[in-house]
Amino acid sequence: MLDRRIFKEIDITTIALMVIITIIGIIFIYSAIYFQASQFVWRQIIFMLVSLLALFISLLIDYKILLSFSFQFYILMNLLLLGLLIFGKVVAHTKSWIVIGSFQFQPSELTKLAVILLLARIFSEYREDSMSFRALIISSGVVAIPFVLTAIQPDLGTALTYLPILLGIYILAGIKKKHLIIIMIASLIIGVLGWNYGLKNYQKKRIEILMTPNQDPRGSGYQLRQSKIAIGSGGLIGKGYHKGTQSQMRFLPARHTDFILAVIGEELGFLGIFLVLGIYFAFLYRLFSTVFISPDKGGVYISFLSALLIAGQFLINIMMIVGLFPITGIPVPLLSYGGSSLMANYLICGLVLNVRMRRFAYI
Amino acid sequence: MAKIYEDLSPLIKKTRITFYLLGFLLLLILAFYWKIQVFDYEKYYKMAEANRLRELDIPAPRGLILDRQKVVLADNLPSFKVSLIRENIKNYQKNIEELSSLLGIKTDELKNRIDRYRSLPAFEPIVIKDNLSLNEVAMIEARKDEFPEIRLEVEPKRFYPFGPTAAHLLGYLQEVSIDEIKNKADKLWRPGDMVGKTGLEKQYNDYLAGQNGKLIEMIDSLGHSKGEVNKIEPRKGKDLVVSIDFDLQKKAEELLQGKEGAIVALDPRTGECLVWASSPAYDPNRFISRFSSEEWLSIISDPRKPLENRIIRGLYSPGSIFKIVMALTGLSTGVITENSTFYCSGALQLYGKEFFCWFKPGHGNLNLPEAIKNSCNIYFYHLGRMINIDTIASYARSLGLGEKTGIDLPGEKEGLVPSSSWKKKVMGEAWYPGETISVAIGQGPLLVTPLQIAVMTACVANRGVKIVPTLVKQDNNERNGERTKISEEIFEKVIEGMWRSVNDGGTGHEAYQPGFDVCGKTGSTQVISRETAEKLAQKGGEIKKTHSWFSGFAPRYHPQIVVTVLVEYGGMGGQTAAPIAGEIFKLYREKYVRQANLQGN
Repeated sequence: MLDRRIFKEIDITTIALMVIITIIGIIFIYSAIYFQASQFVWRQIIFMLVSLLALFISLLIDYKILLSFSFQFYILMNLLLLGLLIFGKVVAHTKSWIVIGSFQFQPSELTKLAVILLLARIFSEYREDSMSFRALIISSGVVAIPFVLTAIQPDLGTALTYLPILLGIYILAGIKKKHLIIIMIASLIIGVLGWNYGLKNYQKKRIEILMTPNQDPRGSGYQLRQSKIAIGSGGLIGKGYHKGTQSQMRFLPARHTDFILAVIGEELGFLGIFLVLGIYFAFLYRLFSTVFISPDKGGVYISFLSALLIAGQFLINIMMIVGLFPITGIPVPLLSYGGSSLMANYLICGLVLNVRMRRFAYI
Repeated sequence: MAKIYEDLSPLIKKTRITFYLLGFLLLLILAFYWKIQVFDYEKYYKMAEANRLRELDIPAPRGLILDRQKVVLADNLPSFKVSLIRENIKNYQKNIEELSSLLGIKTDELKNRIDRYRSLPAFEPIVIKDNLSLNEVAMIEARKDEFPEIRLEVEPKRFYPFGPTAAHLLGYLQEVSIDEIKNKADKLWRPGDMVGKTGLEKQYNDYLAGQNGKLIEMIDSLGHSKGEVNKIEPRKGKDLVVSIDFDLQKKAEELLQGKEGAIVALDPRTGECLVWASSPAYDPNRFISRFSSEEWLSIISDPRKPLENRIIRGLYSPGSIFKIVMALTGLSTGVITENSTFYCSGALQLYGKEFFCWFKPGHGNLNLPEAIKNSCNIYFYHLGRMINIDTIASYARSLGLGEKTGIDLPGEKEGLVPSSSWKKKVMGEAWYPGETISVAIGQGPLLVTPLQIAVMTACVANRGVKIVPTLVKQDNNERNGERTKISEEIFEKVIEGMWRSVNDGGTGHEAYQPGFDVCGKTGSTQVISRETAEKLAQKGGEIKKTHSWFSGFAPRYHPQIVVTVLVEYGGMGGQTAAPIAGEIFKLYREKYVRQANLQGN
């Protein structure tokens, strides 16, 4: 089953881009929190090595086998999320972490993998030109279950990152216009209900802040305001590595995770942002282009959904830190600090690489 | 494998369109970054300059420590300190030199100090000098503008109004070390924080320490404050009322003046300690600086060990005090009754060795109460010959020797009660019956702390209830303790001997107080063995005197106070320790008992 020749087909370019992005992240994690950096930097380096290892191991298994086990995997991950809600320990105000000794893991990150695989499996056998109502309900349901389980942890940020996957399915499977209208109306109703009953006050504040960022500079607008000042004051060429006053002075919150790009924007300026976005865009192209050479529908769905998931998180983050999107706590895939997210994103990229290296299998 | 041909081109087309859309969105976002970073750069740059906030800690005053009558033993005084903010240093070498001349600190010392906090962010203030005099404050205030990198701050500083009084009990504060900050992350200690290093200050550190406040201020690029943004007031720590009686404490320290030793007094009913004097003492006020002075070095290298809390950390032979344990053991095991008599001729031949009584002419025929009264060695040698060492050890332990008393102070030692298994473990050989003879009069490898003797005495006073001593004033006056297996009648028989020792011309007669029925036992311990002493004497060397013990309680019925006195090299217990204990009993009676009587209580 395992043909050695296919390992020559592992896409080194994608892996190189991934590692470059992670290393850029590590360089700025070091700058962002230099007074206790060694701990974070070493951990992130170890996370990266472990994630790479996990990625290579995952490549040993044909993605078609992964697809055949996707349902079991999906059930397992959702049970894990459910168990976490019931038995979980509260870490940083949410129940999103599995804690084993000094090791913490966020299963909601890995659940994305399960959702992608399950949807790819369902739609690889779907033969219609556009989505039937049944397909719409099933696909929405597959996303909705982990979405809800994660949102009530409460970790709305991670929950929202499931939505690009759903969007991807709607696009690829071809949602009907009338269904699109129904969904828009439904989300409007859910939105209104959620606003009034579901969202926590701080979450509402964050959305309001988008409209009027300066009304309360030390309250909820604080994060956005500090982040915008950091980026804006970076100018064209930045203040220099390690010299950002905003990020160095601790005014910038979560600067090694969600706001790592703000640190880059402050210290390397617009040119730095341009460079990082350029590298990221090349990386995203590499993911999307796998769709063009996929051998089958399953591969297409896996590549497209994975690529869109990474792209979606990335876009939300770069919009969020300058106030084009509510602050929801979504890190930049591969770039931000965080072991679970790094591991999950490496594995998601691994799925794409898996499809790419096995593109000749049947020809 | 059969495979249906799939037309993937519609999917690929959709993917392309999606990707182009994403690229377009990315371009729009990039344009927005261009607007912020290049177009509005000036605006954000100014905001960044104006927007610098600084977070400063406002130290909270510690809670006071008060005696049982609310005399303040540990207070707070306002004190000035100077802190340095590294990020405001423009020219390191030059600024440091100027600063060291302004503050009168050596340049190297200042650099070392700054280096020690290298791992902290540059905006965190580092305390570089504290306890400033008013002159220094005035000078720094006048030249403030030349030194934008320093801050002058007021902080509440610990002050012990009575200096060395109860110093070992109170403990002292010192700056938290880098190791402590790292190892006890849950305490949220910051560099420069003063924390309790010994005594009650350490034991009740979390209780006494308040919660620091926070001042968030806007600063300009030079670090000058542009006004307060937010302030969280500090919360003062809780006051601690200790069980110590200030008057008795003062008296005890006077009595120990010039001597090395310890006095502890406690209430046998509750375990509350009334006196906690260890001599020599030190002035804890001297340590409340972040900077170790030469004084500190001289105190820690003093051979008389003034920092040592002798009451819980001094290990001594109990000497004849241990005869109380022997008597209780003898009666409980039925080896003797209070009427069993032995003849004391002044010396006794046992196991091929000659043992002596301290009273060379001999006491003649004695029963148990008389033996305790006269502290006759021969009587207890006989007793020691009849009881197994492990039986003695088990009774000694049940009375609180050889284990920590559980006092609420850090660093207590547990002493040593030897047994056959102990000797096998430590020395690798069997216990010799001859050694039991030494133990019978409190010599040999026995080691006790003065507090253990006080707890044992309290147990006798309570006729068998062993209390846990405490330094904090208890709200309820209930007796908290556990009963030993020895019966009350047996205690009464031993107490008879202790009563006679003080009131009937025994060794403890110097502790006698008219009308207060003191019961007690003296002890004198050989610091060196008799053989060594004789050799020294032959060589014409100086023979150091023995340690002097007295431990007793009063009154005989319904006891209210236990006093234990140890004077190092004080000579015979009856001569030195007993009269000191007598003074404490006297003052206690005047203050509490007669007062109560006058009020018709």
